Amino acid sequence: MKKSCLFLSFAIYFILISKSYAYIDPGTGSMILQAILGFIAAALATLSFYWSKFKTFINKLFKKNKKSGHNSN
Amino acid sequence: MDTIQIEAGSFRDPAGKIFYKDNKVFRVLEKEGIKRFKFLKNSGLLNDLIQKEFLIECKEISDGEMSFENFKENKIIEHKKLDYISYPYEWSFEQLKDAAIHHLNFHIYLLKKGATLIDSSAFNIQFDAYKPIFIDLLSIKEYEDGEYWIAHRQFCENFLNPLILKSIKNIDYNNWFKGNLEGIATKDLNSILSFKDKLSYNIFTQVVMLDYFDNKVIKSKNFDINKINKKKFPKNSFLSMLKNLKNFILNLDIKKNKTTWDDYSKNNTYKNNEEILKKKIVKDFSEKYKFNILADLGCNDGVYSEISLNSGSNFVVGFDYDLNAVNNAFRLSKKNKLNFLPLYFDASNPSSNLGWYQKERKGFLERTEFNGMLSLAFEHHLTIGKNIPLYQVIEWLVSTAPRGLIEFVPKNDETIKKMIILKGDIFPDYNEENFRKILENKSKIISTTNISESGRKIFEYSKI
Repeated sequence: MKKSCLFLSFAIYFILISKSYAYIDPGTGSMILQAILGFIAAALATLSFYWSKFKTFINKLFKKNKKSGHNSN
Repeated sequence: MDTIQIEAGSFRDPAGKIFYKDNKVFRVLEKEGIKRFKFLKNSGLLNDLIQKEFLIECKEISDGEMSFENFKENKIIEHKKLDYISYPYEWSFEQLKDAAIHHLNFHIYLLKKGATLIDSSAFNIQFDAYKPIFIDLLSIKEYEDGEYWIAHRQFCENFLNPLILKSIKNIDYNNWFKGNLEGIATKDLNSILSFKDKLSYNIFTQVVMLDYFDNKVIKSKNFDINKINKKKFPKNSFLSMLKNLKNFILNLDIKKNKTTWDDYSKNNTYKNNEEILKKKIVKDFSEKYKFNILADLGCNDGVYSEISLNSGSNFVVGFDYDLNAVNNAFRLSKKNKLNFLPLYFDASNPSSNLGWYQKERKGFLERTEFNGMLSLAFEHHLTIGKNIPLYQVIEWLVSTAPRGLIEFVPKNDETIKKMIILKGDIFPDYNEENFRKILENKSKIISTTNISESGRKIFEYSKI
């Protein structure tokens, strides 16, 4: 899901580019792609780390509220 | 004096090369090759990979065990000899898919163990009957922290792109791949895919973006690869890329389109008793000669290959030009664990010597010496279907093996009647009498059995 959202934001731009047919070093384009995918993977990992921290924080907050709510009854 | 034969196709990696001696397969290692081999051996990976059936069996030849005049200073490895070498352009979709998954599983395993692969050539995977196996020991090296997947592009062109081409666009990759031994170029695939096809995460990243960056590099005059190279590619990203590709490929499938021959063994013009007789002839023939390696020309879904294997043949290579039939035959081989390798093959344009010096990839008859052959309901596709003169077809058929069964289909048979509805009967010399004369001229006819009301006959010939 996260991957889909990220890649869709680039998709239209990349799909509509023109093509060229010269010889290139077989690894260069692939290395750039890997560097970007590596970056995206790292970014997603960081995001998911903070997202899970945020979720834990919210859950704790609500649990506290619930507990305090029960106590007041 | 050593009578060694160097494998002409083994030149791309200067770290070592394959050679043959006394019908055995050896690999000679140069300095870099010895370094890679020592890493594999000392880390315990070598035995582990062989045990887990990732890598073909390798045996180190110790000093004094065998003498090779030409390679006195080198290390020599002996490999298990496979029954038949095949190439990716001869594989059906499921064979290429199994080979791709084997390659990815292998690479994932290696990375976890601190090693990696320096190339991703589909030619480095072979089929030991129905099981894919990695054959190039020297493609494995020690993993260095942060290194890129150097062979990513090769993986795409050799495995991923052909599979996408077949699965998404229903275009067979085989003849295209045979025409370009590097595989299906990403720019070509990107040109074919529709906007809708590209709205898939994996197609978008592995095809569209890859093609985009290739173009970007060509257009950029001052592009410095070292800038990228200095940045590390984390091992976790490397692993997740491989796993992601694996999941994507596992979910690729072929569209169901019925072809002429994919259910031939179920729907054909034979009557039940005629089919039983035909099976018996194949069974008796195989029991009599117990072939080491048999060619089944026009193998279809492999029914007769299986009978031959169950009747004493050791290994059968099936050939058929219907890719759905080859796919079905491969499924049969996997399901029943047969010593059977079905391959895509157009007899009127067979796999020939290809590649550098026309020696890199061998023609289908030059990879082994078949002891026997089956050619059942096959010759009329060449004579009537492709207008190849009868004498040439028979000459070619008997050249494939010293013994065989050839089914002759007469003109009054329903199949041929259908074949000549439009083109008309332009085959005045096509009759049983001529067939027999030519076959007798090229070999000795051992027996002739009538197998149908229409007058189909199976001839057993021998050149021995």
